[in-house]
Amino acid sequence: MELRKFIFRRLVQIVIIFFVILTVLFLLFRLAPGDPVSRMVDPDMTPEDAHRLVVQLGLDKPLGVQYLIYLKNFVTGHFGFSFHYGEPVVHIIWNRLPNTILLFTTSIILSALVGVFLGKIASWHKGKKTDSVMTIGALVTHTLFLPWLALIMIWVFAYKFSWFPINGMISEEVWLDPDSGLIAKSLDVMYHMVLPLSTLFLIHFGAYLLIMRSSMLETLKEDYILTARAKGLEERTIRDRHAAPNAALPVVTSVGLSLAFSINGGALTETVFTWPGIGRELVFSVSQNDYPLAQASFLLIAAVVLVSNLVVDVLYAYLDPRIRY
Amino acid sequence: MRAREKYPLLNSFLEGWSIFRQNLLGRIGLVLLIMFALMAICSYIPPWINPMYNPMTGVDPLITSCTPPSWAHWLGTDFMGRDILSQLLAGARVAFMVGISAAVMSIVLGVAIGMTAGYMGRFVDTLLMRLADMIMVMPTLLVVLILSAVFGQLNIWTIVLIIALFRWPGVSRIIRGQTLSLKQRPFIEAAKVAGASHFRIIFQHIMPNVLPLAFLFMTFRVTSAIITEAALAFLGFGDPGTVSWGMMLQWVWKTGHMFKAPYWLLPPGICISLITLSFYMLGRAMDEVLDPRLRKEDQTD
Amino acid sequence: MALLEVENISIGYNTRKGYLKAVEGVSFELEEGQSLGLVGESGCGKTTIGMALMGLLPPNGSVRDGRILFEGNDTLKMSMDEIRRIRWRKMAMIFQAAMNALNPVQRVGNQIAEAILVHNPDLEKEAALSQVEELFDLVGIPRERLTDFPHQYSGGMKQRAVIAMALACHPKVIIADEPTTALDVIVQDQILEEVRDLQKEFNIGIIFISHDISIVADMCHDIGVMYAGQLVEFGPWQAVFESPAHPYTKALLSSFPTLTGKKSDLVPIPGETPNLIRPPAGCRFCERCPEAKASCEKTPPEWVDMGSGHKALCSGD
Repeated sequence: MELRKFIFRRLVQIVIIFFVILTVLFLLFRLAPGDPVSRMVDPDMTPEDAHRLVVQLGLDKPLGVQYLIYLKNFVTGHFGFSFHYGEPVVHIIWNRLPNTILLFTTSIILSALVGVFLGKIASWHKGKKTDSVMTIGALVTHTLFLPWLALIMIWVFAYKFSWFPINGMISEEVWLDPDSGLIAKSLDVMYHMVLPLSTLFLIHFGAYLLIMRSSMLETLKEDYILTARAKGLEERTIRDRHAAPNAALPVVTSVGLSLAFSINGGALTETVFTWPGIGRELVFSVSQNDYPLAQASFLLIAAVVLVSNLVVDVLYAYLDPRIRY
Repeated sequence: MRAREKYPLLNSFLEGWSIFRQNLLGRIGLVLLIMFALMAICSYIPPWINPMYNPMTGVDPLITSCTPPSWAHWLGTDFMGRDILSQLLAGARVAFMVGISAAVMSIVLGVAIGMTAGYMGRFVDTLLMRLADMIMVMPTLLVVLILSAVFGQLNIWTIVLIIALFRWPGVSRIIRGQTLSLKQRPFIEAAKVAGASHFRIIFQHIMPNVLPLAFLFMTFRVTSAIITEAALAFLGFGDPGTVSWGMMLQWVWKTGHMFKAPYWLLPPGICISLITLSFYMLGRAMDEVLDPRLRKEDQTD
Repeated sequence: MALLEVENISIGYNTRKGYLKAVEGVSFELEEGQSLGLVGESGCGKTTIGMALMGLLPPNGSVRDGRILFEGNDTLKMSMDEIRRIRWRKMAMIFQAAMNALNPVQRVGNQIAEAILVHNPDLEKEAALSQVEELFDLVGIPRERLTDFPHQYSGGMKQRAVIAMALACHPKVIIADEPTTALDVIVQDQILEEVRDLQKEFNIGIIFISHDISIVADMCHDIGVMYAGQLVEFGPWQAVFESPAHPYTKALLSSFPTLTGKKSDLVPIPGETPNLIRPPAGCRFCERCPEAKASCEKTPPEWVDMGSGHKALCSGD
């Protein structure tokens, strides 16, 4: 029961924050220096179309009314037309969302799991070579500059060795062929995902390793570990069944705290690897001055970040009985 | 009373320094940092020797394209014939400027807000901390992106300011905690009884005790500012008049030289990564100074 | 032969500041079903002895000298496997500050069942859990609390759970290290009474470690007083309590208030405990001892026998 109340409370908080972001964005676009109309209406449109859009967005009305129209449009999914693609923005971002989620969630889950596993081992061999190697490795990979690492990955693995494609998410030959089944298409996506995923993984797993390692070392000092030892349990059992579950909790917290950082990394990775996700769309649309698309992309990313935070919080609450009961 | 409070500070500073010195990570980090600082200082030398070494505008009359390292250009030249080494050194200067300015600005903001929240308590406190929470959730890079969509190309100082605007929540939390515990202390009570105004109490009594902690805590957390600026420049949203390492990477990427010129691709990336590493190490060593539990000598190991 | 014989053990810790001689030349015996109280102030080495008996000294600690004979076998010469087999099944421990002795993310019932299952691998989990239920009845915890987590228990209940866990494998010896320190007096009393009853019922040998000599006197057949790593007085509780021989014991007895008995002044013990990295050559208590003689500083004291098992380590008297 507590869990449900907790989720509900956090959900309300998220909605409020999102609302604030929505409002701030509205104010930014309408009040910033320059002509707001040019920001919302494609300069290449015909005057009649442009006028119709102005009326639809309420740009000729007072600010308060504009805000209400803005909210109404948001709720009904009218985000305007992309200047660059000439399509409704909502179609574009809806199209991009799954690609980002695929890359983002896979990379976080993979780096968290591997980081926790290696961190546990590193703490167990503290002071010895295994530990030093892992800690130094984590330290070095964690501080690498992500876009640069991405470029190097492409250079080495895609260009020099041609093991992987240079960019994109899909190969046209596979997807345009009417005979290729779901498996072939999935494999193709995975093939394209290897390099971006590896880049994100390398950058992120180090942090989780280091946190798990120090968390384990702290946990191993706890009284209940002594109890477990006194009960006659083997060291391995103590480590895996008593220490690790407790030590993993701060790692979950840190995943939550670093979500903003991870999303930044996600956007950079998508851009360098030309992975068609919302991060890349945001970067692209800003550079093209495609304001409606930029605004919507940003909102969607904000939503993704907030929802991820919620998911992590719920996960933590589920794992730590002190919160649930 | 103020003097007695200042003395223990000096004492703990010296004690902290000796602990810092013994930490291996801290030593390596410090060495790296000094190396970069030297790079930054040396950045003035090449253009002074010969204007063709100017990172932005320098043009070698003999070279107008990307060339590998040579005697005249130790790291080669970029696609316009500009010297890469000069750019690298200038980048160090920019990195320090960005890092330090952002850190100072976020400390100023964080201290002001943290003290206010801790001292005022209740409604003001809740409001400010909620605001802090909201800001901490936002991905800084993407926010600056959307802002540059609205305001056009951003100048380096604007970028630094915006970064600082997203860093203060971390500082303010620590400062707020300190303020809360200081609020209960007798000397604050005494000041109140003596009739000091809130303003005076905050600035004359609380701030001196809180500031050293803020500086120590944030000094080595400048890295994200440097990385954010580098990422922005990399994407093409940096200040076009500033040569930063991120900007160098943008050039090598966008001009299609990334596969052909390792002498151009590698150095900026290595520098960004190493400076991040050095600040991280220094931060860890600083943690050991600040948190006695982490110190090795007290462990019976 | 006694169930547990500790012969002249010395234990030390390697610290940055030097080798700390935590325990020096301590000997005592424990018969089956008897209870022994080890009393002394913090840092006197009583917990260290408890840890050494279970083989739970931290990595920088080691037993330098002597033997620990459990059922005739020297535990110091045993392999890790043999020690693990003794742990809990023959010798169990109730730790100081039971607040943290239970794993916060595991249900209490499962943790106790684990203790049973480790030593009875052929047992089914349900069978182990039903044994835990019986243990709960013994110590007075409602059966339905079996599936709760430790943070849902009150302080007293946690302590009872820890006692139940110690009894799980029906050990021959239980080492109880300050088991009631964190509890309020009323709960403390209840728990002590329960422990006494359980001891009688199952004929368990108990080593009761405490800084509070009054509790120990209530519970134990014999009392051992420790100071600065050494055993300074030993004997049946009545002898030690009513006619203490060592000046430290005398000081201990007069340094706490009693509700009954004649009125007397609280006499604190002045001074500090000696440095155990470089312990004094003579008597370790001599600096604070009101009955110290000139020779006490240089010459180590000898054991003085007062009859019927009562002895004291003192040059005076």
